[in-house]
Amino acid sequence: MKVIECSELTKSYNRKKVLNQLSFSIEENTITGLVGRNGAGKTTLLKIIAGYIKNTSGEVRVFSERSFNSLNVSGNSIFVDDQMSFPPALQLGELLGEAKRFYPNYDANLAKRLFDYFGFDEKAYHNRLSKGKTSTFNMIIGLASRCPLTIFDEPTTGMDEAVRKDFYRALLKDYIAHPRTIIISSHHVDEVEDILEDVLLINKGSKLLHLPIAEVKEWACGIKGNSETVLKLINNKEVLYQKEVGMNTLYAVVRKDSSGSGSIEEQAQLAGLEVTAVRSSDLFVHLTTEAKSKGGIDDVFNNY
Amino acid sequence: MSLTTTSLVETVKNQYFYKLKANIDSFSSLVGIQSLAMLFSLGGVGSSGFSGGDISVNIKYYSSDMIFVFTMIWAFITAITITTKPYRNYDFTFVTNRLSSSLANVLFLGSAGLLGAITSVLSGNLLQIISALFMDEQLYHLSGGSSHYILGILTTFFYLFLISSIGYFIGTLVQISKVFVVIIPVLFIGTLFFQAFSLKEKEPFFWNMIQFYTTETTVSLFILKAVLTTVAFFTLATSVLNRLEVKR
Repeated sequence: MKVIECSELTKSYNRKKVLNQLSFSIEENTITGLVGRNGAGKTTLLKIIAGYIKNTSGEVRVFSERSFNSLNVSGNSIFVDDQMSFPPALQLGELLGEAKRFYPNYDANLAKRLFDYFGFDEKAYHNRLSKGKTSTFNMIIGLASRCPLTIFDEPTTGMDEAVRKDFYRALLKDYIAHPRTIIISSHHVDEVEDILEDVLLINKGSKLLHLPIAEVKEWACGIKGNSETVLKLINNKEVLYQKEVGMNTLYAVVRKDSSGSGSIEEQAQLAGLEVTAVRSSDLFVHLTTEAKSKGGIDDVFNNY
Repeated sequence: MSLTTTSLVETVKNQYFYKLKANIDSFSSLVGIQSLAMLFSLGGVGSSGFSGGDISVNIKYYSSDMIFVFTMIWAFITAITITTKPYRNYDFTFVTNRLSSSLANVLFLGSAGLLGAITSVLSGNLLQIISALFMDEQLYHLSGGSSHYILGILTTFFYLFLISSIGYFIGTLVQISKVFVVIIPVLFIGTLFFQAFSLKEKEPFFWNMIQFYTTETTVSLFILKAVLTTVAFFTLATSVLNRLEVKR
């Protein structure tokens, strides 16, 4: 069953398109990573899915319903980010009680155990928590609510290394015990890629990739060696990135394609070049970097 | 994870109890504002006197009139407050849609109005007791018994509910556009003088509007007028809020 179906989804603010003709669908009981650069439209997309904001055109269906103003979508989904607003009059313990009141699958026992593990005080107030603690508390609500659609928008903002690791582990464990559809948007692809099944990469409001994570790792490869040889090899190939890494040595990231005579890896190895795998996080950066700035931030300083 | 169907009634109920807790501050401000009004009323809200020969009589009236007016202001402000962005966002952290959020708001304002009505009517008694005990005045108590109180609470409640529906509507308008922060006071002050200076012997328009409610002597008719107006304002506000996005 498809939990989310978007077709030609567009959202514009003051005629500026934040999401542009976005079409994709997400299957039930999968963990999808939503990645993209700052301002790519990740949060906007997630908020439309959660029914917080309205799309300008196109269609979005969550559990086969339009998400805006749908009670069923709201009851079966939760949107977790560091901006979640809770009434300042309620203590943390009471907030957990409220979550229990609203979400039918809520696991109070799990919430309590996580609450104690992360050292929260039931009498504390949400607006006085530190950044990392706020994210941790929101994450507890998100996990314990056991919503069929759980959306985490940058869930690890402010969390320290140890808590981030704990969070991913808790998420994975709870997902295995109680499968559900989870979407995580994150900048830390290296950290999340182990738990993801699919990746949805968006850039400037448009979809770039929507693939299983295993295929992302096989999507491109890095080639390093003598500049001339490399350039000859990558000619008429889809080059995502290239950089001088020393005297007469060039490193290039090329999209793999099986068409033509043998794979690019074989050709490179035959030519005596070094072939490396490309980290997913690097691949996403290469894919979303604009053509005019292929040299990266260095270009800014080189040409003035 | 299996899907669950979410019922509107259940959600409104949950939201209502959530709001009672979340907006606890509005109840403490009710206590504050009524105490203040009580303080102002200690000297009596009105007095008259006459003397003839050796006798001089001075009558002071101790009633909850001032407390009632203050409670009305409180109801108005409370209604505006719960339409503001943070308060709307609290709802969307948990399960809701815009309709259930508005319905729960109406229920909350109703409960707040009822509490305000009961406390302001009963505070009249407290005021009289204080004046009798501490101010050494001879107390003549006028009361029609329990039906008097019930009627008082009922009409006070409908006034408060009406005022909060107006506040809710105005708050909603301000949420769509900040222009209304200017327009509404201008319109209000404008209506105060509208027709007031006309040559024909007419009462000011605003005064007529108030009298439409306040001079109604039949309770059932008054309730009908108040309820219809309240429903109209809440319906308008709800239909406007129904399109508002959650931005935080």
